[in-house]
Amino acid sequence: MASPFESYDDLEDADERLQAADPAERRVAIIALGHSGDPAAIGHLARMVDDPDAGVRQQVAMALGEFDGPEAAAALVKLLVDPERIVAAAAADSLAEFKDPASADVILPLVKHSHAFVRMGALRALKELRRKDTLKPALEALQDGDAAVRVQAIGVIGFLKLEESIPALTSLINDPDAHVRRAAVSALAFSHMKPAAETITRALKDEDWMVREMAAETLGLNVNGAVAADQLIASLDDAFWQVRLKAVRSLGKMKIERAVRPIGNCVTHEQANLRKEAAAALGEIAGADGEPFLVMIANDPDPDVRKNARWAQHQIAAKKAKAGA
Amino acid sequence: MPLATYQTSVPVVVDDAKCIADKGCTVCVDVCPLDVLRISDMTGKAYMAYDECWYCMPCEADCPTGAVTVNIPYLLR
Amino acid sequence: MAIDEIVDGLSEVSCDVLVIGGGTAGPMAALKAKLKNPKANVVLLEKANVKRSGAISMGMDGLNNAVIPGYATPEQYTKEITIANDGIVDQRAVYKYAENCYKIIEELDGFGIRFLKNENGDYAVKKVHHIGTYVLPMPNGETVKKALYRQLRRARILISNRYMATRLLTASDGRVAGAISVNTRTAEMLVIKAKAVILCMGAAGRLGLPTSGYMFGTYENAANSGDGYAMAYHAGAKLANLECFQINPLIKDYNGPACAYVAGPFGAYTANNEGKRFIECDYWSGQMMLEFYNELSSGKGPVFLQLKHLHEKTIEEIESTLHKVERPTRGLFQQGRGVDYRHESIEMHISEIGFCSGHSASGVFVDDFARTTVPGLYAAGDMASVPHNYMLGAFTNGSVAGIDAMEFADNHDFAQFDAADVAAERDRVMAPTKREDGIPPNQIEYKTRRLVNDYLQPPKVTRKYELGARRLAEVRQDAKERMIARNAHELLRALEAQSILDCADMAVHASLFREESRWGLYHLRTDFPEKDNENWFCHTLLGKQDGKMVSEKREVEPYIVPIAEEEKDLYDKQRIAVGA
Repeated sequence: MASPFESYDDLEDADERLQAADPAERRVAIIALGHSGDPAAIGHLARMVDDPDAGVRQQVAMALGEFDGPEAAAALVKLLVDPERIVAAAAADSLAEFKDPASADVILPLVKHSHAFVRMGALRALKELRRKDTLKPALEALQDGDAAVRVQAIGVIGFLKLEESIPALTSLINDPDAHVRRAAVSALAFSHMKPAAETITRALKDEDWMVREMAAETLGLNVNGAVAADQLIASLDDAFWQVRLKAVRSLGKMKIERAVRPIGNCVTHEQANLRKEAAAALGEIAGADGEPFLVMIANDPDPDVRKNARWAQHQIAAKKAKAGA
Repeated sequence: MPLATYQTSVPVVVDDAKCIADKGCTVCVDVCPLDVLRISDMTGKAYMAYDECWYCMPCEADCPTGAVTVNIPYLLR
Repeated sequence: MAIDEIVDGLSEVSCDVLVIGGGTAGPMAALKAKLKNPKANVVLLEKANVKRSGAISMGMDGLNNAVIPGYATPEQYTKEITIANDGIVDQRAVYKYAENCYKIIEELDGFGIRFLKNENGDYAVKKVHHIGTYVLPMPNGETVKKALYRQLRRARILISNRYMATRLLTASDGRVAGAISVNTRTAEMLVIKAKAVILCMGAAGRLGLPTSGYMFGTYENAANSGDGYAMAYHAGAKLANLECFQINPLIKDYNGPACAYVAGPFGAYTANNEGKRFIECDYWSGQMMLEFYNELSSGKGPVFLQLKHLHEKTIEEIESTLHKVERPTRGLFQQGRGVDYRHESIEMHISEIGFCSGHSASGVFVDDFARTTVPGLYAAGDMASVPHNYMLGAFTNGSVAGIDAMEFADNHDFAQFDAADVAAERDRVMAPTKREDGIPPNQIEYKTRRLVNDYLQPPKVTRKYELGARRLAEVRQDAKERMIARNAHELLRALEAQSILDCADMAVHASLFREESRWGLYHLRTDFPEKDNENWFCHTLLGKQDGKMVSEKREVEPYIVPIAEEEKDLYDKQRIAVGA
């Protein structure tokens, strides 16, 4: 009977199999090397990046994704600039799973590549590596003509969480592309400095509803979010209920007492999702002036709304009892 | 009681022209959780040998040449 | 050569820690055991292939129960689970999970598994339940298995694919001594001696029959036929609260959820035919399923997942996850039906029954170290009794099991088993291959599962259960005396059919033992419609004594996170009456 265990001798005849005349056979050999988990396979795979068959190169790009570190990254970088899109896309996906910061050295130069797809792939890979020396090239990439590249650059900068990048992220609030503005708002959440919160606040007036939604949500995650309380209250009149909903949630989370009435006015909105969130926020703030609104929805047709209203009333009662005692 | 066989239409379809099982590939057969795929002795290509499919997709997703298609089994389509 | 031809063979290997099941908990257990003692031999045995086996074969679309600092606390989570599980919880294991799971998320992130992050690298945690915030989406979660497999290879775990474990071996003192398995393509048998064994064999998902009638269209990965439950039972381990069935809300006729955890954070919700929400209960639980069931069986059904009210861009985002991760054929299914989420709500239904602690609480009884009641035997994941575990629980408790099992193996020598046990098991396993004529496994299985639907599906009626038990006993006799397997693959199905029968018997026994109603629809007994805290505020443990199935009560461990009366009240007020 053959061994019942998976083999760990995958590399034995690798070179011979990688030189097979039939590209399908080379592919099969590459799959085996990828699955081997043996770092010695990286060298074998790296020698295949110039294979004449695009399908084979794509397979190499996928197989290299099973590894991490500079050697595998160096091979993937060559595949990321491959003229065939299927190869480059596989390389970009593989690089995105890398975690070893040392991989950044070989990826960095590609941030200035002539093709937008390559620049994007490189930045996407750098994000998770969180290396300080990637900040400068990422900041430069914020000037990129391609919006998708700028979005990835924001990620690199945001993941590093360095206060020095706030001015650059702030300037993106006027970017012509809504995806870029949305990403910038999300990235700014980490900052402990007031200007970041102020920038996010400005985004509450963005022309794109998804940017406004992101801004309303992000303020709830930012330590200085409360500076925007009045603007968030103003957002409770936003044309999109999705934006109002996030504003309600952030105001609730920050326990803004003067928001009780404006939030209360949302409990009659036709969208149950918003009514439900308003009830929850009234409970989080637990101000006694929220009670009349909760009474209004005690018999709301939507059980989720009733549920949150009951919970909120309980919170208010608990707060009163505590104050009394 | 004697046994009879009966007809069933199987959900997994393999494109023989794309399949490279005859070159040593066993990916789809390996990844199937229900172990319902086999490689034909006659054609050297993969095929669905047993109609016991969870239509979960690894065979299609992992096939290196895009030869495998998973359909929804007729009974629940 | 005919396919899957039977080869006669029996061999033996030994290892320090044997992990059975290479889905979610298993790979983590094997990895942690090996990292704890790199010199030790760790075997990971898998009925399918570790690359794509188990519940997360195509990845996972999100974590439902992530306890992430700043969003939820272990105390809060433990309370939530205690209440969702009607109080029948040993909190220590739940609390330990809640404390450790963040570390595991970070570790999985390090493996290259992709969780949703904000642009500043923080996890993008979402709120679904109204109190805690536990949901972490994984829109790119299709690579989970790939990332796990990579780790196993790096650690040089001994991986054995296509071996189905059939029975555990025990020593005369009851300690675990290893396991017996059979190759699913050749029927050759393999005995694995081990100092400690970890069962990570998934849910009993092939118990009920899906309404489509397609036997393998189950909610759980259809390979999860309850072999672990059956093996634990026969080895003398106790099984907890099996009457707390698993039932899930699914897309009608399709085996995937719609899914509230994916679409919920975007504002989608479950509604009745009037377009109104009807679910009162907050956390996913048997109570929620009862409300679902009641709505379906009242004139207010069918039930739908409502997305129409969402913005086009939001629906696109939801689709990109729903149609790519966990159940990628979902999109194909909807396309075949001509359903576009923009214009039409998704018709929902409830799944067939099963055992699964991952979603409910039915599992092999374990403590907070994943130890079963058999010394040296561990269990983790969907088949172990830590309630409402989900994927992250499988990883976290798999990790706990791996570490403790290696410690056990380091301090114990091999236990000795009786060679006669191996011979007897070989005879049992191979019996269907020795017949010239008989009933094929698919017919035995179909009949078993059809009876499960007819007689065991809640609401549970005593008289129906008694009749069901009688009919199941007839099928069992047929399985024992007449089932035929003509090749190794059919033998695999024949063995699974026997696990399914064992689980059906356990479902009957456990359900009849608990003379009250609890956990909403999961254990709704029409003869005992009320919750009876005075007599039944306890676990039930099912076990094997002198070859017979027996059940006993076991006290719930004192809570470490107390739950105030008013908190219980608050939840109770949110509930609708049983049978209302």
